[in-house]
Amino acid sequence: MSHVLALIVLLPLAGFLVNGLAGKRLGNTFVSAVGCGLPVAAFVAAVQCLIELTAAGGTPRIEVAYTWADIGGSSFEIAFYFDRLTAVMALIVTGVGSLIHVYSIGYMKDDASYARYFAYLNLFLFFMLLLVLGRSLLVLFVGWEGVGLASYLLIGFWFEDPEKARAGKKAFITNRIGDAGFLLGMFVLYQALGTLDMDRINLAFLATPGPAVSASLVGILLFIGATGKSAQIPLHVWLPDAMAGPTPVSALIHAATMVTAGVYLVARLSGIYLNAPEASALVAGIGAATAFFAATIAVVQTDIKKVLAYSTISQLGFMFVALGVGAYGVAIFHLYTHAFFKACLFLGAGSVIHALGGEQDIRKMGGLARRIPFTFATFAVATAAIAGIPPLAGFFSKDEILWFAFASERGGSTVLYVTMVATALLTSFYMFRLLWRTFFGRSRMTAEVEHHVHESPTSMTGVLIVLALLSAVGGFLSIPHYLERLLPMPDAAASLHHLETPLLVLSIVIAFAGLALAAFVYGGDGARAERLQRRLPGLHRVLSGKYFVDEAYETFIGRPLYWISDRVFLRLSDRSIIDGSLHGLAALGRRTAGGLSRIQNGQLHLYALLVLVGIVFSLAWSWRHV
Amino acid sequence: MLIAVSAALFALGLLGVIVRRNVLVMLMCMELMLNGVNLSLVTFAQQSGSAAGAVLVLLVFVVATAEIAIAIPIVLLLAQRKNGLDLDAYDDLRG
Amino acid sequence: MIETVLLWLFAGTALAAACLMLVLRHPMRVALALTATMLSLAGVYALLGVHVIAVFQVLIYVGAVMVFMVYAIMLLDVRDRSFTRRFSRLLVPGIAVALLFLAILGGGLWRALGGHATASAGTLFTLQEFSVEFLNDYWLHFELVSVLLVAAVVAALAVLEVGRRARG
Repeated sequence: MSHVLALIVLLPLAGFLVNGLAGKRLGNTFVSAVGCGLPVAAFVAAVQCLIELTAAGGTPRIEVAYTWADIGGSSFEIAFYFDRLTAVMALIVTGVGSLIHVYSIGYMKDDASYARYFAYLNLFLFFMLLLVLGRSLLVLFVGWEGVGLASYLLIGFWFEDPEKARAGKKAFITNRIGDAGFLLGMFVLYQALGTLDMDRINLAFLATPGPAVSASLVGILLFIGATGKSAQIPLHVWLPDAMAGPTPVSALIHAATMVTAGVYLVARLSGIYLNAPEASALVAGIGAATAFFAATIAVVQTDIKKVLAYSTISQLGFMFVALGVGAYGVAIFHLYTHAFFKACLFLGAGSVIHALGGEQDIRKMGGLARRIPFTFATFAVATAAIAGIPPLAGFFSKDEILWFAFASERGGSTVLYVTMVATALLTSFYMFRLLWRTFFGRSRMTAEVEHHVHESPTSMTGVLIVLALLSAVGGFLSIPHYLERLLPMPDAAASLHHLETPLLVLSIVIAFAGLALAAFVYGGDGARAERLQRRLPGLHRVLSGKYFVDEAYETFIGRPLYWISDRVFLRLSDRSIIDGSLHGLAALGRRTAGGLSRIQNGQLHLYALLVLVGIVFSLAWSWRHV
Repeated sequence: MLIAVSAALFALGLLGVIVRRNVLVMLMCMELMLNGVNLSLVTFAQQSGSAAGAVLVLLVFVVATAEIAIAIPIVLLLAQRKNGLDLDAYDDLRG
Repeated sequence: MIETVLLWLFAGTALAAACLMLVLRHPMRVALALTATMLSLAGVYALLGVHVIAVFQVLIYVGAVMVFMVYAIMLLDVRDRSFTRRFSRLLVPGIAVALLFLAILGGGLWRALGGHATASAGTLFTLQEFSVEFLNDYWLHFELVSVLLVAAVVAALAVLEVGRRARG
């Protein structure tokens, strides 16, 4: 089929249009059928493309769909590109996406805006696929902005609540700030290379001599866009607030797919970053800082979804560290495994919330292990995966990242390694803390919530089981090797080769140490946790306040901007200058007219005098003719 | 020289219109203006030898007569209405 | 020779009487001054040789217009506020602009005419010649003037009507 790539992209769009325009009238069953069926169809088409790609030996497939604009000799086309990296991304997006759609059938069953939900979800898939399948940065950017839009719509899905609507706005605006950097990067690239096609850009940067523009400059600019979309410091502030949306949305957009767009961008443009050591160092540095920073905050969070949100930020930091040291394939590997276990975790959290009738505070949970067994089992498997317990998926990807952070010749260092190991320990700790507080121990639920607890329907638990299985065995599909030809792995320093196995053992030890520590602190009746909190009140306050980043932004950026808008732009420019000048002109006209009208006082003497004056003037004027 | 006299008569007439308060005096000053013009017309007619100037003077006579014939009754009515001949009182057309 | 003197005399009288017009207080005296001006001008016309116009000046201007004026003055009570305060508020500006006017006009005339051409009496304007010229070449103007007179008559009737209505 010659237009199958376009088909993959357009199937969810069709779902959006049908459900958006007619869904309400056609009933929930129809909406579910269309809303889930079309992503599944897209998944099948993606599998088909993968088969064809393998048969063709990995040569990329390019499909030009439409010429968007023809300006001054250069034409901008909407073209799709399918190679191994795209295959991995497209399968994750459509596969995990379809699973989450199915889950939503059960989760959103009683919501009044059922059709709108599925319409937005399909819209998101359309834009995400556009982002992943696009050949040029322009098409990617359309998808980039589009997923931002879909994210805004879905975070603020229950927009009647102003807090939730504000969260949606915060997400969109923070993304936009990052997009400014992205756009600048695109402009520089276009100016230097005359094209925005990513395969051509990579070739241009890998060739010798490279293009005239500084690769680091472009790399940093594009990375600024990635920090916005993938919630790295300093633009990470939107992701925790985005938990205001429905839980499947958090799973799909803010765990598995949209936030990974930044990682995909850097990996796709590896040609630039291979030649930009400063940019790569920045990427690794910010990734490490974010990972550690977010992990420390996650340790004290009490909302089940917020813990997972900070966990996502932290894991994305891991991926950026991998990108920063040149191990692009490993980053994609971690993206892939993270999609499975994080989606499973979020959906499991959704199941817990559903079971408890809306409760999200882990201090009010406990003792759920036996009452919602499927949720518990899948949640436990996913927790073990993210903590890095072998042989689950997370262990493989995380260990590769740690190894390359230490030993890569393209930027690995001990400092980086130590930070990441500490983060890994914290990850294991807080995830098991979450597991313990939610499912074990004495029940801290209120009576009517406890009465209400029930296992979720099959549409939800079925998806959880599938995702848990994938989290368990997904690590055995070695993505880095699959992508080797496209994204070569960096060389490890020869002197450090002998440390590979010891470090491997160290990661396993760390994972179990986190488990043990969490069990120790939070096991039993949790009294030890409270004593710990009382002994370190300052630290606890800082961590609970998320290092007060939001407050700092508000004080140093928000309030001055508001002051400038109000004082300078509204009162000074708009009211005083613009309105004032207009009113002033009118007043001037009125005053002049008023003044001039005093000549008409009805006195003939004055009129006669004016006649005489007029005559004198005309005589004086024509003096030269005398 | 006569032209100068005519200019002076005209100027005096116009000045009188501006300066005097009595309506009737103002009308008379307007007649003075017309006379000044007549003088200049006659002078030019006599100098150039064409009859056009003289004809124009005749026409001016007629116009002046008609003008006075109408203006005086108007002034009489106005004076009745405003109870006086002061031109400052006749400012109903102001604004 | 004598004609030049007489010319100067009559012109001077006209000018003097005109100045008096501006200064006298009683409107009747002003009317008399105006009559003096007109008669002097008639004399000037006669000396210039334009006897037709001189005669008509006396007949029409002095005989009809000024008489009518005098009637009006006699009809009205002239001792009101315009009697005690002769001059309007625009006395000073008026004089200033009038002087300016005279200066410009005089200067222009001086430059245009250089020396002054004195009158030379011609015989072109006997009544016979004048009327022949008038009714041959300027008969349109004559007709238009008669239309004007008709309009004046109508206007006079209208004013009568207004007056009648004003009096109730």
